[in-house]
Amino acid sequence: MTGMTEIQMFIIAILPIYVAAFILYTLRALRGPSISDMVLAIDAMSYDLAAFLVILAIYFKQPILIPVAIALALWIYSLDIYVSKYLEGKELGE
Amino acid sequence: MTLLDTVLIVIGEIMIGVGALADLIAAIGMNRFPNFYLRLHAATIGTIWGSFLPLIGAALVAAGCKCLGEYRWFMSGGALVTSFVILILGPAGSHALARGTHRSGIVPVEPKVVDHLEEDESHPTSQELQEVEEGDSP
Repeated sequence: MTGMTEIQMFIIAILPIYVAAFILYTLRALRGPSISDMVLAIDAMSYDLAAFLVILAIYFKQPILIPVAIALALWIYSLDIYVSKYLEGKELGE
Repeated sequence: MTLLDTVLIVIGEIMIGVGALADLIAAIGMNRFPNFYLRLHAATIGTIWGSFLPLIGAALVAAGCKCLGEYRWFMSGGALVTSFVILILGPAGSHALARGTHRSGIVPVEPKVVDHLEEDESHPTSQELQEVEEGDSP
């Protein structure tokens, strides 16, 4: 059990860096001048959120958080594709 | 805990630490760069170095830590699959977004020295010119 507490202490030490990065991404997503900046900030933040979810799954010892990360990554890719199709053709396509 | 488990955990923790630092650098760059096309650099750093690398590290940590119980291989494999999904889909999504933004022209390209993509889009291609000539001739 000593190894697990060391990993948990390491994750606790890493956690403020991730939270600071998420706050900065949220600032850019809120004040982005164009819609592309907002989508790009949401995009980068959500991929990092998927990695953060896996790290939290190790911290809490909850395996149920892993499929959430995969689904989050796939949905954010679909957001990219939808927004780029809308910007290019002014419609969502088929 | 064997030696291999310790090595896996240490390598995974180093990867998670480097990923967190790259994530912070990408977030700072996302706020400091002046233009959408320059912010794409920061977004790519945040995707690959800030998300792909910590997921590989989390997979190694989950594989090396026996304290996670019988689901540790599930967690390790899930983290590996997520990392490869992000490795493929992240650059593809960024590229699609940049293409749509440049084609729609909602963000001006400035400062600009030369923009060959815009010139190619504004001028008709040689094939289209040939088609026009063929249509006019009869």
